[in-house]
Amino acid sequence: MTDAPSPLPELLRRVAAGDRTAFAELYRLTAPKLFPVALRITQRRDLAEEVLQESFVAMWNQAASYDPIKGVPLVWMTTIVRHRAIDQRRRRANLADATAGSDDALLTLVAGESDRADRGAELAALQRCLDTLEAQPRQAILLAYLHGYTHDELARRLATPVGTVKSWIRRGLERLRRCLDG
Amino acid sequence: MKYDDPQLREALASRYVLGTMPRLARARFDRLIAEDAALCAEMRDWAEIFAPVDAAETPVAPPPRVWRAIEAQLGPATPLRAPVRAGWWQSLTLWRGAAALATAVAAALLIYVGAVELRSARPLPTVVAVLMDKDGAPAWIARFESRDVVNIAALRHPSIDSRHSYELWAIAGSAPPKPLGLLAPGLPGGQAIDAAAVPPTGGVLAISLEPAGGSPTGKPTGPVLFQGKVISNPL
Repeated sequence: MTDAPSPLPELLRRVAAGDRTAFAELYRLTAPKLFPVALRITQRRDLAEEVLQESFVAMWNQAASYDPIKGVPLVWMTTIVRHRAIDQRRRRANLADATAGSDDALLTLVAGESDRADRGAELAALQRCLDTLEAQPRQAILLAYLHGYTHDELARRLATPVGTVKSWIRRGLERLRRCLDG
Repeated sequence: MKYDDPQLREALASRYVLGTMPRLARARFDRLIAEDAALCAEMRDWAEIFAPVDAAETPVAPPPRVWRAIEAQLGPATPLRAPVRAGWWQSLTLWRGAAALATAVAAALLIYVGAVELRSARPLPTVVAVLMDKDGAPAWIARFESRDVVNIAALRHPSIDSRHSYELWAIAGSAPPKPLGLLAPGLPGGQAIDAAAVPPTGGVLAISLEPAGGSPTGKPTGPVLFQGKVISNPL
């Protein structure tokens, strides 16, 4: 991360005006950051490619309605990719669970046990506050965010009734918010 | 449901970001935040809380075919600043060319339209005409909504500056074009026109670039940017 101003707001403004060159540049700068998000949630390369394609077409079509109140451009774009990836994943929800076994590495990544130093203060703050949660709510929240699990899938995965999972998540998020605001 | 309970608002915004919201509820939430800036800001705050997780991913470049597929889906870029040509609709060469083009690409077009319809998973209404740009890429589609109403919608994202308007024309035989009204390209659901004004099968729908507010003369004055043969008009 550098402190140079992001070129994304200006690119997005030009994309909203129908500028294809700006769109190509926006893709070049952001696709490598968004693709791993789609990969992580879909767990399949072909589906992740499809999600990325759909997402960028949607960004092109929705660029004119982008508003900074929706977040900085990369956050807005990530939300679009995440939701499409989650939809893609849910369409295959009854297939074999391809994500089984891959949780540990990801949970480790977010739990701060990896030694990458360049993640910045925001991730450190999130990790610190996640650590204040009890193990099960923390795991439910992370599995939902990282993999796009539904409440039902979380309940199966964590061998816990759906109602319990929902309340773990609800209270966990409230606590997380208080910790981050405090 | 009431959306003024702060706890409910926070719960919805956080579930939207976390990804546990069912698809329909998410679509409803998308509509809510379009009109409720405070709720949108609440959603943004949650998105920014979790954003560092995604930002921590090691970048992975997608294969080049993804960008090629995106470009193919958007169609060729269409610069709108074509030179003004007077009396274009009287040029025999143009219409001979248009007729040849229409025949040559008709099959491809129907496949294209079919693909668009499949993707959007809506029932297929009768296609009246597909209007192409000068490169032959489909740009607008006109469909019967009912026996009285034809809907014309942009297939991609045409842009136009505030000094110009798109104007739609009906051309039947050798008669001068009849104005069918101005088109707003950004309208999400397309625009309704009177089905009775659509030329019979074999006629042409064309869109010209006119000064803002439409042609001052009642006849096209600017370049024709899009045109398509009426492939089906049972009326």
